[in-house]
Amino acid sequence: MSVRFILRAGERGYSYLPAAGLNASYVAGHPDGVITRHSSFNFHEYQSGIPGLGVMKVFGDETFTPNGTGYNMHPHHNFIIMAFVASGALTHINTIGKIDELKANDYYVFSAGSGGKHSELNIGDEDLQVIYVWVVPGQLLAPPSYRRSRFDPKAGANRITCLVGDEPGALPIGQTFTVSRLLSDGGKAHTYRPSKANGFYAFVLEGEADIAEATLTRRDSIALEGEDKIEIAVRANGTDMLLVETKL
Amino acid sequence: MKKYLCLGCGFSYDEARGLPEHGIAPGTRWADIPDDWVCPDCGTPKSGFEMVEIPYYSEARTA
Repeated sequence: MSVRFILRAGERGYSYLPAAGLNASYVAGHPDGVITRHSSFNFHEYQSGIPGLGVMKVFGDETFTPNGTGYNMHPHHNFIIMAFVASGALTHINTIGKIDELKANDYYVFSAGSGGKHSELNIGDEDLQVIYVWVVPGQLLAPPSYRRSRFDPKAGANRITCLVGDEPGALPIGQTFTVSRLLSDGGKAHTYRPSKANGFYAFVLEGEADIAEATLTRRDSIALEGEDKIEIAVRANGTDMLLVETKL
Repeated sequence: MKKYLCLGCGFSYDEARGLPEHGIAPGTRWADIPDDWVCPDCGTPKSGFEMVEIPYYSEARTA
């Protein structure tokens, strides 16, 4: 058993990005629009924390205020960028030609490859909560691509469901990297079986669970390595988690 | 010849290719790029790049 780190919700990087002022070209929206970003790993101006885990470089827990707040169209290369919508509605526009709207439990995988731009907007009337994950690709300058899918909270409840990876029904990304979701009632126990060579990262969206003798509450996370069996004991009020496995 | 990845946006710098469109000749070593150079796409400082050993898609396809 080897715990690489335990990261409490309040220990993450924090960015407050108003649509007005210096960020006006970066953040779209009316002057009162704000994006708040909690970063598990070093990202942009936050560089005093953890430099990612394996091929995962970004794990951003972001909230966009309603009525037209988001990131203006901006360029990327190479990174495989994923968005998992927790609540509200995300409008995603990219230069592959896709205009998409994602709601709670929807997710996308945007592989920027040889070059792609995107805009991420909340044009709805409630807050958007979304988790962004960036992964270093297995190949540079691949053709850009965009795919989306949905987690079914009824069929997927009380078991571990692979969202991104090579399992049937998941979105493959050509990298030793998976994202799974665990939406579980209280009192249940689940076992995740990673490859021993890989790293494991669990992030609590909601609720509470015990992993490796640590009690994790809302937006806490833990990273483990050298494990082939990870027990997740869900506390009484249930939990909703994202589980990441990555090559190291 | 090494490759470097911008952790702000994913822009890649390849010593072999340089960036002729940004005034950096092919073969220019990363160490010879000024410390105040920034990512041409997103403005991330040079220190925010990471060395990577990843093949190009085109190479992987023909390998």
